[in-house]
Amino acid sequence: MEKTISKEKTPSKLNAQKISSLAPIIGLVLVVVVFTILTQGQILQKQILMNMVKDGIVTALAAIGAVFVFGAGYFDMSMGGCVCFATVVGAMAGIATGSMTVIILVVFGISLVFGFLKGLFASFVNVPFFIFTIVLGSVMSSMVITILGTKSIIKLSDAKTELPKLDGQTTYPMLCLICLIVFFLVCVYLFKLNSLGSKVKNLGGNKIAAKQSGINSTAVTIAVFMLSSVGLGLASILTMLRTRTVGTGTAGSLGNDIMVALVLGGMPLSGGPKSKISAGLIGAATITFLNYGLQQMQMTAGTIQMVRGIVFIVVVFISSFSYRGKLLPR
Amino acid sequence: MAKGELIFEAKNLVKHFGPTVALNGVDFKVYRGQITGLIGENGSGKSTITSIAAGMQPATSGEMFFKGKPHNPSTMIEGAELGIGMIVQEQGTVSGITVAQNIFLGEEERFKSGPFVSKRKMNKEAKKALDRIGFENVDPSVYIDRLNMQDRKLVEIAKTMYNNPEMLVVDETTTALSQQGRDIIYDIMKRMRDDNKAVVFISHDLEELMEVCDTLTVLRDGNIITTFDKDEYEENAIKAAMIGREMDGEYYRSDYGTPVSKEVVLKADNITTGSGMLMNFSMELHKGEILGVGGLSHCGMHELGRALFGEEKLLEGKVIDMATGDEITSARCALKHGYGYVSKNRDTEALVLTESIADNILAAGYDKIEKGIYLSPKKTKEYVNKQKEALSIKCASVKQEVQALSGGNKQKVVFGKWVGRDCDILILDCPTRGVDIGVKAAMYQLINDMRKRGKSIVMISEELPELIGMSDRLLILKDGQQTGELERRPDLDGNDVIDMMI
Repeated sequence: MEKTISKEKTPSKLNAQKISSLAPIIGLVLVVVVFTILTQGQILQKQILMNMVKDGIVTALAAIGAVFVFGAGYFDMSMGGCVCFATVVGAMAGIATGSMTVIILVVFGISLVFGFLKGLFASFVNVPFFIFTIVLGSVMSSMVITILGTKSIIKLSDAKTELPKLDGQTTYPMLCLICLIVFFLVCVYLFKLNSLGSKVKNLGGNKIAAKQSGINSTAVTIAVFMLSSVGLGLASILTMLRTRTVGTGTAGSLGNDIMVALVLGGMPLSGGPKSKISAGLIGAATITFLNYGLQQMQMTAGTIQMVRGIVFIVVVFISSFSYRGKLLPR
Repeated sequence: MAKGELIFEAKNLVKHFGPTVALNGVDFKVYRGQITGLIGENGSGKSTITSIAAGMQPATSGEMFFKGKPHNPSTMIEGAELGIGMIVQEQGTVSGITVAQNIFLGEEERFKSGPFVSKRKMNKEAKKALDRIGFENVDPSVYIDRLNMQDRKLVEIAKTMYNNPEMLVVDETTTALSQQGRDIIYDIMKRMRDDNKAVVFISHDLEELMEVCDTLTVLRDGNIITTFDKDEYEENAIKAAMIGREMDGEYYRSDYGTPVSKEVVLKADNITTGSGMLMNFSMELHKGEILGVGGLSHCGMHELGRALFGEEKLLEGKVIDMATGDEITSARCALKHGYGYVSKNRDTEALVLTESIADNILAAGYDKIEKGIYLSPKKTKEYVNKQKEALSIKCASVKQEVQALSGGNKQKVVFGKWVGRDCDILILDCPTRGVDIGVKAAMYQLINDMRKRGKSIVMISEELPELIGMSDRLLILKDGQQTGELERRPDLDGNDVIDMMI
């Protein structure tokens, strides 16, 4: 008869898990404190804070939706390219028609179509998904250049009928906040009070076990990409309304910002059971504060990118100790 | 037969796989000029000894000596360099490259002319390697993908023999080969013996072992039971040594003669699986029946379990749910028809290890608790706690990660997934693998209770006592075909079953 050696987990290990789950909030507080000190409080000026909120919300909308995608075990590198494409095409449609409604429909339509296509590809095509998204992102960026032709930017002010202008100090921030609150609450609901969140974590944790448990991996996969597309669509529209110009550089760093935000928010990039919906929100706040803090310190764009890269690698490295080592190979 | 010089010795070799003891302080010797056979049931430890000797995996403790020196290879390459070659049943060739490139994979340096590798020299040397084992009708410059599975195995053998091992391990390789392939291996083994080298031959085919081997060592439950010399070979004695355990009535069902319903609930109709492990196989499961399925490794029983749950691609035939007449085509379809499945690969297929106990139990039960788009935390908690109590899952909290549990408690979590759904048909593949005696007894009790409640169970197992002790009816498989069917009776013992397996 086989002999077995039994082992059970102690409560102290559960407490350690609780402490490590607070790390993203501790990180955010640390970043705020450090840069407040380094900029001698300049970063807390009202206008700078307002700008941070506006930028941060755009990143948060995209990152919150991305939690579902990464949580299910998919690595999407095309988010920036898709946002750029949807924004430019939406803007062109708006300029041609002078209709905000048309802009909204076109932007969401394109985002959702891309989401659906990505979901289908991830479900049925046996090619590493992240490679597909790298190619997709590049293709989208190239298509934007082609569509714009000789222009590098287009302006909403060129519309034949004037498109709504939102007050940058009141109306626009309110709109951002409403979009964020509504989208976040919907995502929290889907993640915690609906089986979708659990199914996403199952899929990201072990696709085979998820399938054997009867989880419809195709339906869940398409759902996560469509949900992410809603966040990206919101990010596109808010970006357009704020800058009122779009071009080849629109959402240039968004894809990068989303990944860094998720990691800083405590989300494992490989997804699975440790995925957190709060990662999108906390991480977006952290990366935005980090970006603005570095800018306030008069660092060059290149230096800022380098610092962000180092922070990203360090956080991924630290989080890999407790997590990846215990996983079975996929 | 007079023993030659001792070439390999293992002393007090122990190997643990998590909670499972695969080798329990084994002393094993191999002599030059002999073909040493190893036989035992699945999980007896025979492949574990040889894989440790060849450097495939380390021992937990114990000592080994090879050619009189301490032996502790950390890789198979190191093992091969020291003089131990191993041929296994699984495919070991690399697709997309030629036969010659496969034979000399990792050894391209020896064919370098300047900065380039000379394919001509490599092909010429590969031809010699293939001719040496009698596999002459293959061009070493062709891509390995053009060869069938058997020929690819022969290429592996050529690769192993090219390094002139002092001790050759043949681990259940012959089952995958035709008679021509088997003859090549027998010839190699005999030549090794005649050259005063050593061979360790592992097989489930007792007739083959008795024909080829000079001695035959029997393992059971990680222990060496006995060694037979060739003049002592007697089939029944060898089988008795393989089985040799007493059945403990406390674990298993104690009822006999309980009538089984004639109502058929599940049918496999002439199925042939994509893997080829089952060919034109048919079976029926009755309501309230425990149908045991057993056999030696690679007999097709695990594929049968997967096929019944819709997880295995079928080339021909159907799995039919008899209550509805529907064909079972996927796991989701099976679930909808009230089926549950406990995979033998618990950690890789049945559980999400980094997930909580609660979420693992819930994974198969969302449709039972979710109302519309709302998943009530209260109902979720009740559902999970009910299974935790019913199965006595020992844990600090249901939020604890499953990977921290013992094997027995992990298995209870897997059971909890399906018990929670109140499945009518359960397919259990090695349900008590890696669990201790106490948990086994509890599981048998649970399975029996389910049977009494009219649930139908297919129990696939590599443990004979379990199959004999629990099944109403027992199907024996060999090479994808059914070789026997036995009804439950008090005097049914392992000898009756082993005959059909071997």
